[in-house]
Amino acid sequence: MAKTILAVDDSSSLRQMVAFSLKAAGYQVVEAVDGQDGLEKAKLQTVDLVLTDQNMPRMDGLQLIALLRELPGYQKVPILMLTTESSDEMKGKGRAAGANGWLVKPFDPQRLIEVVKKVIG
Amino acid sequence: MTRKKILGSHVKRLLSGVSDHGRKHLTEVETDLVQTGLLLEEAIEKLSRNFMAIHAAVGARQGIIDLLLAGGQPTAEQSAALVAMQAEVGGYVNAAITSMQFQDMTSQLIARTLKRVTGLREFLGTLGSHGASMLPESDNEEIVDLLGKVSMALAIQSLELRSVLRKAVSQQHLESGDIELF
Repeated sequence: MAKTILAVDDSSSLRQMVAFSLKAAGYQVVEAVDGQDGLEKAKLQTVDLVLTDQNMPRMDGLQLIALLRELPGYQKVPILMLTTESSDEMKGKGRAAGANGWLVKPFDPQRLIEVVKKVIG
Repeated sequence: MTRKKILGSHVKRLLSGVSDHGRKHLTEVETDLVQTGLLLEEAIEKLSRNFMAIHAAVGARQGIIDLLLAGGQPTAEQSAALVAMQAEVGGYVNAAITSMQFQDMTSQLIARTLKRVTGLREFLGTLGSHGASMLPESDNEEIVDLLGKVSMALAIQSLELRSVLRKAVSQQHLESGDIELF
């Protein structure tokens, strides 16, 4: 059965590109428009991986990670940040919040798939 | 200090504060616009190049496709060229996807610039509204008091504006970013 990835980004074009790339590699993708939406979608089903942006309205990526880690079934689910943010300070905050990796935009679809495969197979 | 000197010092502080505030923000606006321009220019160049390459890759196989449509038998070399097309076009599509992410980055830069421009307009509005309550017949003490208030209001607005303007996009090029697994 195909693994499911929750892709959270407030940019619709970015979500489309992430979904296109992941679906082409055989993954199922659930899209969310911001952290709040991501949290609600995560409550509906436990996914295999979360890929989230940082700067979003209503709830940012770091807040989302912290809340996801409190949800049943999400303690061990890999969470990767995909963001324009590239400072060590932000990466440190992501790590402290419970992120498993940090990908700086723009992403190359092939490299994204390689990382996803490495993390969830 | 004489009243005249106190007044002079308040005016000087206000003018230099307005000048510093304005210059800093306009310099940032300039930097963000230049960065936006660079990203847009690179995106258009790379997108054009990759779309042309896709067109050329498909066009180069048109002869083989025509041959197949006519019921002909392609040579081994032609068959290999058709099989290789998917990977070739896939490479161009991937490069185009990387370039298309200019929208995400430039929209963040533009949003930051808009916030800054709005903040500057409010800043100048505060200056104007305080200035309007200064009357020609106001004495030095009233003017000093007013100048102190306006300086304070502007300092607060300046801090508030800075707090919402953290720069989240430092990319100057549309090349695949770093990946770090923790």
